[in-house]
Amino acid sequence: MEHEAHVVAQQILESMHHAGFEESRVSVTFTEQDELNIAHNEPALLRSTEDYNLAISGIVDGRKASTTLSDIDSAAIGAAISSIRDSVSSAPQDEANRFSADQHMTVEQGPLECDRDLLSKKALELLEFRAATTPKVMIEEFAASHRLRRSCELTSRDTTLSSVVGCYSLGGMCIASEGGKTSSLNFTGGNANDLSEKMGSEWFGLGEMLRDTERQIHTRALGPHFTGAVVLAPTAVTDLVSWFLQQLGSRALIAGSSVYRQSVGEAVAAPTLSLQSDFSAAGHTPFSTDGFIAPAITLIDNGILTSLLPDLYSSLKTGSPHTPSASSWRISPGAESRKALIEGVERGALVTRFSMGRPAANGDFSGVIKNSFIIEDGAVGEALSETMVAGNMKQMLRDINGISKEHINYGGEDFPWIRIPNMHFS
Amino acid sequence: MRKMTTAPGCDYVETREHMLTTDRKMMVNGNLTANAETAESGVSARVYHHGYWGFASTPATDSKSRNKVMNKAVDNARVMSQFGDRQALDLGATAYQGDQTPQRKPAMSQKETIDFMQAIDDHCKQRYPGLKSTTVMLQEEHHRKRFATSNAGEGLNTIDRAACYIFMIAEDKNGKPVELAEYVSGKGSFADIDLSIEGLEPRLDSLYDHLRAKCDAIPAKGGEHTIVLSPELAGMLAHEAMGHPCEADLVLSGSATGGLVGEPVASELITMVDFAHHYNGKELMIPVYADDEGSEAIDAVLIENGIMRNFMTSRETAARLGIPSTGNARAYRFNDEPLVRMRNTAILPGTSSLEEMISDVEQGYYLMKTGNGQADSTTEFMFGIDLAYEIKNGKLGRAITDTTVSGTAINMLKTVDAVSNDMSWSCSGYCGKKQPMVVSMGGPAIRAKAHLGGE
Repeated sequence: MEHEAHVVAQQILESMHHAGFEESRVSVTFTEQDELNIAHNEPALLRSTEDYNLAISGIVDGRKASTTLSDIDSAAIGAAISSIRDSVSSAPQDEANRFSADQHMTVEQGPLECDRDLLSKKALELLEFRAATTPKVMIEEFAASHRLRRSCELTSRDTTLSSVVGCYSLGGMCIASEGGKTSSLNFTGGNANDLSEKMGSEWFGLGEMLRDTERQIHTRALGPHFTGAVVLAPTAVTDLVSWFLQQLGSRALIAGSSVYRQSVGEAVAAPTLSLQSDFSAAGHTPFSTDGFIAPAITLIDNGILTSLLPDLYSSLKTGSPHTPSASSWRISPGAESRKALIEGVERGALVTRFSMGRPAANGDFSGVIKNSFIIEDGAVGEALSETMVAGNMKQMLRDINGISKEHINYGGEDFPWIRIPNMHFS
Repeated sequence: MRKMTTAPGCDYVETREHMLTTDRKMMVNGNLTANAETAESGVSARVYHHGYWGFASTPATDSKSRNKVMNKAVDNARVMSQFGDRQALDLGATAYQGDQTPQRKPAMSQKETIDFMQAIDDHCKQRYPGLKSTTVMLQEEHHRKRFATSNAGEGLNTIDRAACYIFMIAEDKNGKPVELAEYVSGKGSFADIDLSIEGLEPRLDSLYDHLRAKCDAIPAKGGEHTIVLSPELAGMLAHEAMGHPCEADLVLSGSATGGLVGEPVASELITMVDFAHHYNGKELMIPVYADDEGSEAIDAVLIENGIMRNFMTSRETAARLGIPSTGNARAYRFNDEPLVRMRNTAILPGTSSLEEMISDVEQGYYLMKTGNGQADSTTEFMFGIDLAYEIKNGKLGRAITDTTVSGTAINMLKTVDAVSNDMSWSCSGYCGKKQPMVVSMGGPAIRAKAHLGGE
């Protein structure tokens, strides 16, 4: 099948050349997925899906257009190429339109065959854990799945990036209820290459999520406004890192709205924080979305920003050095225990998730904290309801004053718990 | 397709041939950063066998592929029997028959759409001093879903949705970026919504005025306040705060609405409906005549004069709850199984005018635009607020910085003391629930008490 992806990509590239494109880029991806679903605490559905994705881009005279299709039939591909030819003629000229050159890499990782018995075993393990440990929890939906992606990307400038990547995933969402009271929805999940290493409930904090959810049936509000600390669980750290990465990305750089556009080499976070790439995590490849090999990078090195993350187009537009990046990151664990982080909070909250709008362009945000617990005098207390936190993402990164040694690897994000003071609660 | 819709020993079978085409373009400061079309199609089969589901799909629609996915779906359902014997539910004996064949204007050409984006960019540069950035984004998508079911359902479902988003960024006096967006959305393609400078100019002028006001914005005071929600936000409230908790799959999981049918959950001023395809004699933005299980789509009255009435259902969730199917089972791509999803969800208009609703407020906030919202099983909701003004002594005051409004809908809706007599619909963005989905939402302005994030 890998060979077929390469063959299909090569044929399309040749057709693009014959159609008069000066530069071409073709990415062919075949995906197969098996997924066992639980609904309402019961095994419910087994699904098997195939997907083809043919992404084709062309440049003529500095004008660029793209199309994506799922049909590998030659007539459909021919029609798609004609459509790009039509589109490209009406696109504006832009000398920054270029495709990757001289990139060569082949990646094979993860389980390439699906073990359906393993999917069933992990689903049953989670159901048994729920029944024995958290009977008030309803697993609203849960999926145990295996995905295999065979991909080949070619450009007319001698790039060939091929991959065959298999991985397993577990993830789900649940609610707990008792006596007419209901918890908030809670969810977690991630990717791994070998699910047999641990029980289903031990992956990605699934068991802890079920336990926490049962404790969240009965909640209380935090009371009047105050300023306190938050300990962000790895799931909430994701929100902070996502905002940070968006600020370094192409759209924010081209729009000129990035708060970090002049900050390379400067301290943007507490000196204890280092953010590193993990581009070969389960289910991932070290390829950027614009077709480059993404070398490993320490993006924040002991608090110092080392680079922006423009793609080739925005690099040429803004003058920032092109830094290919992929989509998996980890924060280096700290020295303190998670317990010690919490013990260092006089008043605040253990935050599992932010429910909030898109932070303002300057990083200001306010959001409801969900699936979260009060911390008083260094101890975790009751679950919280209707509690808002306000702050500034940029400032939060600077204010971090604790990083746990414990961390959760979701296979794409590997984050610890982190403590941040001076948050406004209301 | 009809010959595919039986499988020996299976209690229910459905097949769907689904084509999805999209066009997405983005121009940032005059640079065309995205110019991409997609066209995907495939066939899926879903079977119900002894209480378990099997599903399979492939991105091809020839007869060999159809047979393959049917056989695979049957195998998958049978494999599920390893989890023990189960009584099959009665998923209904009847189904819809009919094709949805909308009449649309001829599509705009690639050149016309790009010229429009460039014209908007030029217009903003020339007319609005101090702008640091302008982004124009166009998105349209078209679904053609031909379904067939073992209970004689057969038909074509169609979704056509187009949207234009315009983002402006300026800087406040401290040099910090301040952003605001306006959008136009509607049924059909780009040709069916008003993409003309003349049509958009009043909206853009207003957007720029609000952006300038927001550059001098002050923080909101955190805590509970009297708020007036614009129609845009009331639509979001209908969708997020009460819509999701009234989806039958969430009800079965323990959503707070589950035990409240017949109980007061809102002010008597509030009536909320998930409309199938028409409101007030006019076809809505996301008209659904039959869902992707072949159930006839009917209006789901969720709240009537403050009383909880009904839920939105699929065949299975209706059977589990012992209520009729409302035809809310919808799938986004060919390889998605239908889930309970909203269609056109709205709070219905009242009798007040927006001006009166503001003039009666001594101190509070007028919330005008939202970036996104999230829901919860508890009916606790959150909307990001991108544009809002203080209300002082019945008049609008200064703009406030981005904030968040939250509350518990079944508490907050009881505080509603005014509902405006107008109504606004939109269908931009996506609803997320395992799969994305296009939906529309509508509402009048409403006045209530809710919690604002801030200092």
